[in-house]
Amino acid sequence: MKLGFSDMEEAFRRECASWFEDQMSGEFADIRGIANLVDKPERRKAWERRLAEHRYSCIGWPIAWGGRDATLNEQVIFAEEYARAGAPNRLNHMGVELLGPTLLALGSSEQKARFLPAIAEGTAIWCQGYSEPGAGSDLAAIRTRARRDDGEWVIEGQKIWTSLAQFADMIFVLARTEDGTSGREGLSFLLVDLDQPGIEIRPIRQINGEAEFNEVFFDGARCPVENMVGAEGEGWTVSTTLLSFERGISTLGQQMQFRNELDAVIAAARRNGKTADPVFRQRLAEAEIGLRLMRYGALRMLADGKGGALAGAALTYKIQWASWRRALGELAMDVLGQEGEIAPADAEGWPLLTNLYLYSRADTIYGGTNQIQRNLIAERGLGLPREPRGNA
Amino acid sequence: MDFRLPPESVELAEAVREYLAGTHGPDVLRRLDAGGNRDLRIWQGLVEMGLTGLLVPESEGGLGMTLLGGALIARECGRACLAEPLVDTALVAVPWLIARGETDDLAVIAAGEKLVALPHAVNPWVADGEGEELASVDPLRNLVAAPEDAGDDPLLLDLGALMSAAQLVGLAEAMLDQAVAYAQVREQFGHAIGGFQAIKHKLADVAVALEFVRPVLWRAAQAMDDGLTSAPLHVSHAKYAATDAAYLAAESAIQVHGAMGYTYEVDLHFWMKRAWALAGAWGDRNFHYHRIEDAALGGAHPLGPQHTFA
Ligand SMILES: Cc1cc2nc3c(=O)[nH]c(=O)nc-3n(C[C@H](O)[C@H](O)[C@H](O)COP(=O)(O)OP(=O)(O)OC[C@H]3O[C@@H](n4cnc5c(N)ncnc54)[C@H](O)[C@@H]3O)c2cc1C
Repeated sequence: MKLGFSDMEEAFRRECASWFEDQMSGEFADIRGIANLVDKPERRKAWERRLAEHRYSCIGWPIAWGGRDATLNEQVIFAEEYARAGAPNRLNHMGVELLGPTLLALGSSEQKARFLPAIAEGTAIWCQGYSEPGAGSDLAAIRTRARRDDGEWVIEGQKIWTSLAQFADMIFVLARTEDGTSGREGLSFLLVDLDQPGIEIRPIRQINGEAEFNEVFFDGARCPVENMVGAEGEGWTVSTTLLSFERGISTLGQQMQFRNELDAVIAAARRNGKTADPVFRQRLAEAEIGLRLMRYGALRMLADGKGGALAGAALTYKIQWASWRRALGELAMDVLGQEGEIAPADAEGWPLLTNLYLYSRADTIYGGTNQIQRNLIAERGLGLPREPRGNA
Repeated sequence: MDFRLPPESVELAEAVREYLAGTHGPDVLRRLDAGGNRDLRIWQGLVEMGLTGLLVPESEGGLGMTLLGGALIARECGRACLAEPLVDTALVAVPWLIARGETDDLAVIAAGEKLVALPHAVNPWVADGEGEELASVDPLRNLVAAPEDAGDDPLLLDLGALMSAAQLVGLAEAMLDQAVAYAQVREQFGHAIGGFQAIKHKLADVAVALEFVRPVLWRAAQAMDDGLTSAPLHVSHAKYAATDAAYLAAESAIQVHGAMGYTYEVDLHFWMKRAWALAGAWGDRNFHYHRIEDAALGGAHPLGPQHTFA
């Protein structure tokens, strides 16, 4: 074990820090520190392209595909400096952190050549078409269907909760390709262009009034048969590989965001005198302890994982951070007290801490609810008997 | 000791519950949210039920009820997520005016022709007051900034806190009901999700919390009716516990709804946001926590086996 960073790594840190600072205080100052995912989409697309120009769009990818082959340490550093500079949440998170690594692991060489460059260049934004009205926690209950027709897949059905679909160019879709199958059998993983007549996207308003997620309707939408990742009927394996990235290294950046959020809560407590109150001193210290537990836990788990995916023990990570952040949201509101009730009248968006309270309600739901995570930990981790699960 | 609720108050509360359930459903909340926030017809209905005169003495045209009876109605206002400022006028301002001997306006208030929005130093805003508007996290609450010279009358604070606690209980009950109803119909893995222990236990925890909040609330109301010197302590206890329960109910109800619970399309968020707003109103959790701490440790409230709990 060796903790801390080498001289070379520290040099990389300085390089990242000064570049992000230049960008965020210069040309991209208008999107610095945006708390939500929907403001200024065009500017955020421009930001994706700017990252790409500097080979900063996907540093963990191989050099051949536009990345830097960055080590885990370098990725940690990058994520830290990215967040420290207040650079906005990545619009192409799902392309860079989820689909890219999945294609690198399971895609054919033609698929890599067709889809990876546009992600690396920041010109193709991706979204995730998994959930359906009847298939949330029970993802394998998917009913969206795809059938072959003349060298193409033709897709009928509906996805829901598709984050950022309204800004995306492409969607990866888990669809049922074999008649008469149910559960994990007979699913395939398809890459579909959103810009076509057979697709309709309707935003869904979320609790804070903004619409980040959408319904996506497929009515005869098409994609070439070559756009299937993995073998026909093997979509479930592909989709879970992708989920292991979703819960893995892609969360490093998020951790720095957590740091920023806790700092903001502490700053608010300093401002209104709550740091003099033993009750708040203790609760803030507990939050700090929780943050450090997560940080070291995640770094340890990633050190064992392969290519940014989380290994077995890491089942515990999602529930840990989600529960921590949800509690931080409530602590933030207690720190603000009555002030927390005031929302801004303008459309500039809600203040950081108010948004934190609202957003953090969803953390324990997306990417596997707390209940599902506990079942996984108990059943896969501890080997306890399985819950009744229908046909999944 | 007799810890039963007065039957006539309970009857009235049940009638109000039915009336609001019939006339003030989620469709009304959506209509108010879409524009206007307030609706004179809803207010008129409340007036016709006599609710504006609930605590006004019979001699002034009211029903002359106790604060306990009033708290039972405030709970129903919470359950229905009522937007009209009934609680602030009829259940907070009226008893305060009566206690100060300012009875001139009572008949007009009972007739529903006057709203009273009282500032207090503990609140940075006045709900339904007049002045420059502030936006609340609750789309159905209308706030203005509090005047700099707002007073800090202790009775007003306790009345505000008591009635907020009562509303928080009603809000939490309504959120639990919505979550239970959803858990019965939403199916995953071929089963209603309410059949999974993880969901059952979550909802059962909310039910337990609420079961133990209600008596504390009734006790606080009775303490104020009886003019006990310990009433502020009981009120703080009620506000604290009711806020806890409401936060727990909101968090659990959203969780049980999954992504649905995170949308504006599902009604739940109206209740969640009202609870959020009232959690901070008339002293937040921290404020009341410290009042309890002072009473318990500061010697103001006698402790030990020789003293009764009541
Ligand atoms: C902000 C946000 C963004 C999202 N973005 C995307 C996206 O981009 N793409 C996408 O595909 N999806 C997305 N989702 C959807 C997300 O993956 C689902 O919400 C999640 O899988 C839960 O499904 P559900 O909402 O249908 O809830 P349900 O599955 O209906 O769950 C409801 C409740 O029942 C519980 N429950 C269900 N089954 C069990 C069980 N067996 N045992 C115990 N409890 C159980 C759950 O824990 C939950 O509390 C997003 C969701 C949110 C909130």
